[in-house]
Amino acid sequence: MLHNHRHMSRRLSTISRSGGLLLVAGLCLLLQGCPTPYELRHQAQWDSREQIWLSEESQVKLRVAQSRVFDTTDRRRTLEAAVDTMQDLGFMVEVLDEQLGMVSGKKFEPLERPSIGTDPYYHLYDDQSLLIFTKSYHTWGPFWHRSDLVRLTITVRKRNDTQLVVRASAQYYLRAVEDPAPYQKFFRTLEQALFLQGQLVE
Amino acid sequence: MTRRAVWESIVLAGVLLVQGCVAPQPSQDLLAPTEAQMKIRSVQTRAFDVKDRQLAMRGVIAALQDLGFIIERANEPLGLVTAARFAEPNFYDVLGVTVTVRPQAEGRMLIRANAIYNNKPIEDPKVYQNFFATLERSLFIAKE
Repeated sequence: MLHNHRHMSRRLSTISRSGGLLLVAGLCLLLQGCPTPYELRHQAQWDSREQIWLSEESQVKLRVAQSRVFDTTDRRRTLEAAVDTMQDLGFMVEVLDEQLGMVSGKKFEPLERPSIGTDPYYHLYDDQSLLIFTKSYHTWGPFWHRSDLVRLTITVRKRNDTQLVVRASAQYYLRAVEDPAPYQKFFRTLEQALFLQGQLVE
Repeated sequence: MTRRAVWESIVLAGVLLVQGCVAPQPSQDLLAPTEAQMKIRSVQTRAFDVKDRQLAMRGVIAALQDLGFIIERANEPLGLVTAARFAEPNFYDVLGVTVTVRPQAEGRMLIRANAIYNNKPIEDPKVYQNFFATLERSLFIAKE
């Protein structure tokens, strides 16, 4: 009886050990399917049309949050203030067109940076493959595993004979920012650069 | 491995997996300037005794070229120059600069430079002092 019991418990422990091994192997396979948490957090968007459908807020609400009216007709001064604001916020200006009245820029949020120590991936990427100095290198080259892209476009349009409309739209993690709070803070900085108070569009 | 440890590891792996799949939400301060950025603003800006904006922009471009930058874009009517270079010693890292040239009263030009190392703004005043010293030299040569 006693002997039988000991035999049983030994068998049970072998079963649980092999089960544990299977589990570890299964987890390894699963984790291999997901290369890094960073990649997982990004949706693969092969088609730009998909991105358009991603907007969740109502278009009107979003437009109101992103726009302010200024009592000035000086487009150039407004654009210069927009560039100043970009500099204040640490954005790199990428597109600037006075005729169309638009400024675009990007910055990286150091979200993927480990708070302690260094990121081993940083030293692992292949620098030999970097042959040319391209925009994509700046955007997704060695940064893809350690930083997040924030894109911002500011447009300046004439509203009527005495007013201009400034609209800012931001993108974070490849998705449009729809929360009004970041835009409020942005326009506060822009108002300081312009020495003008902006009003909401009615 | 006891059964409890197995379950614990499954829960832990599940939590890690789920956390990896959720996109982070933008913070409220995404488009707000930080205190550090406001502090370095004065270090980034300097006024020069140049009357002509185009001359000042040529000086900026020449200074950036002297420092080994590749000019990416230059917009004369709005007074903007951006440039980038790979940084020493391994040339793994990218150093990007945005320079704006604004006319001030009394025939002076206000020049502001922003430098970004990979994804972080440079806050060391020495870097900007170096740039402005090079710019001063290049403007001096341009004047002659």
